Amino acid sequence: MATHEEILAKLKEAVVEYEEDDCAEAAQEALDAGMDPMVAVMDGLAAGMEKVGVLFDTNEYFVPEVLMCADALYKGLDILRPHIKLDADVPKASVVIGSVQGDVHDIGKNLVKMMFDVAGWDVHDLGRDVPLETFVEKQLDVKSDVLAMSAMMTTTMMGMKKVIAMVKEKNPDCLIMLGGAPVTRDVANLFGADGYAESAGNAVSEGIKMIGRLREYQKGDIK
Amino acid sequence: MSEFTGKQRVQKLFKREPLDRMPCFSGQGTVVIQAIEKMGAPFAKIHTDAKLMAESAITSARLFNMDGVVVPYDMATVAEAMGRGISLYENAEGIIYPTVPDKWKTLEEIDIPKDYMTQGRLPLVDEAFKIIKKEAPDLAVGAWVLGPFTLAGQIMELDILLKGLKKKKDEIAVFLDQVTQVTIDLCKHYQELGVDFISVREMGSGTDLLSPRMWKTLIGPNLKKVFDSITDVPCVNHICGSTDMIIEMMHECGADALSVDQKNNVAETRKKLGNDVLIFGNFDPYNTLTQLEDQAQVEAIIKKCIDDGQDAVWPGCDIWPDVRPENMETYTKTVREYGKKPSPAVGRL
Repeated sequence: MATHEEILAKLKEAVVEYEEDDCAEAAQEALDAGMDPMVAVMDGLAAGMEKVGVLFDTNEYFVPEVLMCADALYKGLDILRPHIKLDADVPKASVVIGSVQGDVHDIGKNLVKMMFDVAGWDVHDLGRDVPLETFVEKQLDVKSDVLAMSAMMTTTMMGMKKVIAMVKEKNPDCLIMLGGAPVTRDVANLFGADGYAESAGNAVSEGIKMIGRLREYQKGDIK
Repeated sequence: MSEFTGKQRVQKLFKREPLDRMPCFSGQGTVVIQAIEKMGAPFAKIHTDAKLMAESAITSARLFNMDGVVVPYDMATVAEAMGRGISLYENAEGIIYPTVPDKWKTLEEIDIPKDYMTQGRLPLVDEAFKIIKKEAPDLAVGAWVLGPFTLAGQIMELDILLKGLKKKKDEIAVFLDQVTQVTIDLCKHYQELGVDFISVREMGSGTDLLSPRMWKTLIGPNLKKVFDSITDVPCVNHICGSTDMIIEMMHECGADALSVDQKNNVAETRKKLGNDVLIFGNFDPYNTLTQLEDQAQVEAIIKKCIDDGQDAVWPGCDIWPDVRPENMETYTKTVREYGKKPSPAVGRL
């Protein structure tokens, strides 16, 4: 029987090589071997995605490869996630995420969503081309910790400013994340957003870096 | 008084003949809110009415003394004509461009109708060209089409397309062949309508998304076919996003000019391609025209484009219509005045 290290290496490898079947198989193997599923997610799947981030940053991988890696990751995550034990005393963090009305692109949004899925958050995915009021309604309804919005086209970014103002007025503690190709960091600051990812490409880098931080957090490196 | 009309200036630019000054025009949308307001029409309406489309284009050019116009303004016309629907956001506040709500989700579903050229708003766009040519004969009239890959991403789900590039190479190649033919047919059609130039916008193919290797095998050859088919009018190869790694391959596709956005290092591009190639670009339109409040900064950005070796200062993408009029004024004025000196590929009288 494979050791835990070998299973983690297999999970990581399957994500990096975008082998969906291998990833599902390794996830099942982790459960059969009695591994903590959260460890398998963080040190197997998420670690693999971190490697993908490096390959992306060094121009070895591009968006098609990253999308396939994400598909492989989800194959493993779907198997592991139901077995992760929740701490009843700690409320689960939650996020409302979507692409703003006028934006029918969701690659960047889905990659950021993956990061929250990996971390075990409650993810309320509103999809794409989402009317502004729907973001506000949903955020106020579920009182999420984070509101993440993306607009890939220049033409949709102004809408995000309005949503931020509406949410912050009623729920000032909600963290706002903005993403999308035309939204610069300056614009994000101007709109009063708390987090930022520049594009599908940067969403990959930024999202994966956040996964890295979550892994460090879990290990106790970050207090 | 100018020696040339805007149309003549643009025509001469493409022929690389000496000019009085750099022409001020774009292959990307340049409609501005000030023109739309002047006509009293809501933004959603200018996409569905040939007269409003034509007049908003002409008025935008006249307001800021530009040399050319470009229509249509949105990227959804062809997908809509193929039956993929259209979201116009007529009740939404502010400026939202039309989008395609119902893209094909699998390769198997794709069925490009033969009569798409007469469907949706494509006839309306033809009508707008006719109105512009009649009412503004002094202005250069630009048509634009999406490059085959970007058009493919408008009619089918982009993530399926991107993954297909790796997983279903052969099927995607066949699909891209089909879409290339659509782009070629549209270019042929706009040539017949008598436009002055055609910009082919393959904007979804920069190296933010695709590897240079993929670009070489799947994007470049199809673009070359498109540019080979445009024989009667000058054409521009426009890609926004990262283009430094593919700029030489873009050049090999055979367009009359290249257009890049602010991510391109134009000074380096000049070194790579030499001074004979027409290069257009490359300022960030949203930052420069909508955000900045200091006119000296706007002027410096436009001057840098010229100093870096642009033959025409083009925005890297569509102008966000809600421009500050004073920024627009500074942009066009700087092009007209600072552009009196020769550019690398085009001399001055």
